[in-house]
Amino acid sequence: MRKRIRKKKMIEIIIVIALFAGMLLWIYPYLWMILSSLQPSDEIFKKFWPTHFTLRHYTFLFSTSERLERPFGRALMNSFLVAGSRTIGILFSSVIVAYALAKLKFRGRQLLFNVVLYQMLFPGVMFIIPLFVLMLKLRLVDTYPAMIIHALMSAWAIFLITQSFKTVPHDYIDAARLDGASEFWIVFRLMVPICKSIVSIVALFTFISAWDDFLWPLIVVKDYYKMPMAVLIACFKHEYTEEVGALLAASTLQTIPMVALFIIFRKNFISGITMRLK
Amino acid sequence: MKGKRKRRILRSKEGVIGWLFVFPYIGYNAIFWIFPFVWGFVLALSRWNYLTPRRFVGLKNFFRLFYDPVFLDCTRNTFNFMLYFIPSVLACSLFLAILLNRVKYFKGFFSLGFLLAYVSSGVAYSLTFSMIFADYGPINNFLFHHFNFTIPWFSSPQLAMLSIVIVVVWKMIGYYGMILLAGLQSIPESVYEAAELDGANSWTKFWKITIPLLNPAITTIMVLAIILSFGIFTEPFMITEGGPMRRTYSFMLMVYINAFSKLQAGYASALALVIAALSFSCVWVVRKLIEREVSLT
Repeated sequence: MRKRIRKKKMIEIIIVIALFAGMLLWIYPYLWMILSSLQPSDEIFKKFWPTHFTLRHYTFLFSTSERLERPFGRALMNSFLVAGSRTIGILFSSVIVAYALAKLKFRGRQLLFNVVLYQMLFPGVMFIIPLFVLMLKLRLVDTYPAMIIHALMSAWAIFLITQSFKTVPHDYIDAARLDGASEFWIVFRLMVPICKSIVSIVALFTFISAWDDFLWPLIVVKDYYKMPMAVLIACFKHEYTEEVGALLAASTLQTIPMVALFIIFRKNFISGITMRLK
Repeated sequence: MKGKRKRRILRSKEGVIGWLFVFPYIGYNAIFWIFPFVWGFVLALSRWNYLTPRRFVGLKNFFRLFYDPVFLDCTRNTFNFMLYFIPSVLACSLFLAILLNRVKYFKGFFSLGFLLAYVSSGVAYSLTFSMIFADYGPINNFLFHHFNFTIPWFSSPQLAMLSIVIVVVWKMIGYYGMILLAGLQSIPESVYEAAELDGANSWTKFWKITIPLLNPAITTIMVLAIILSFGIFTEPFMITEGGPMRRTYSFMLMVYINAFSKLQAGYASALALVIAALSFSCVWVVRKLIEREVSLT
């Protein structure tokens, strides 16, 4: 019996070691990216750990590249602006629509809910070109709204929030109405706080996917001063391939906000992933 | 009588508010969903470069597609990608989930480490990998110093797609592993205990209990992986630009180049519709083949 327990313990130790090794292998690209961005240019492909650290590549991004008309500081702000406004837009709209779909009784509600479900089935590739044509017609190409306006509502967000609003007891709403609360008050002061975790999961995933969005801004923005980080890095790579250090520094800057968000909200993140199953 | 009437008024008031609340949704989707949806089909049937008047050409775009060698290459590449990607990502993430399920300590720490790859941004990690796997990059340096050979990861036509698969597997394992881990944790211990009493060894337990009961999770992952395979863009765009010898030319790259470099909006729209249909039917076939009803009670 004791032998068996010892064997079990041994196995667990081996698994922990294996997982630890695997994890190191998995974060190696990150480490390499960060360390190389802090290295003098001539060492980048030769050493893993720099002989001395330098912020030269970062200062390059914020000063020299500005003069080359490749403004990375501004691109970072643009990324925050675009991802932030898309997240706020989606949260605001889907909370209101989800409340109507989950708690208000009106004709055609079920039909509308089915529309939301079917909307999720269609792949994005079908919409790229016609949406670009729409942006052309609205004369929005090469502006900030072009990167934001097409993604202010999301069937996925509405669906998730509706499902969670449905679990809120109806008595709460009736009680709030008896106290003279307006419908907007009910949505933002009652429903959202109760379903806080789902709402923050939606916010987190929306922000991360908007931050990582590459194809759409690549299509609609040609002005270097309006590009988000991802597009500016791609353009810079095509034009200045030999500036490896600066490219890696820019990549690090683009990765850090997402990693920070992920580490802060890791609990919500993991429950958001496992929700895919249901 | 009075109460009933009041309730009806309340009802109709609720109906009005309900419609007011969903009206923005309907309006917005009329502009940004239905309009592009219909316009996509119209474009697919016409010839247009965004500037000169549009010309109706019927199904010509679709016929042209099937004689286009680039389209055939893309189809081959996508299925090639799926052939490498789906088995390897399933095996690796299942392995990860099983290991994570067996450790008591550091579970959160390890899942965090593997999920870190998933939140990395597409452009940044493509760039990093293109340097790590470069001919003069750290991996080839290491191989050259210790074993005296190098691997042409992204420059050999045979290896390029496999290398991209490695990158995407690196990214997705944490995510798919979490889905599988949730599936594993939902399997009650009593099922295994009952099997042990019947004398099942761990091999039988794995194939007869774990895999069948994980079916919903595995189906989810297969569907996600197929959709990903048809939509892959950033990695080939940043790392190989479709090369060498068009071996990593993906469907999305073809749409992008046709629509926005060659300005063939009609042709690219027809292509987009065909891609959507293809990915849809792949998902449908896979669901028909592997999806089973599972109940744990």
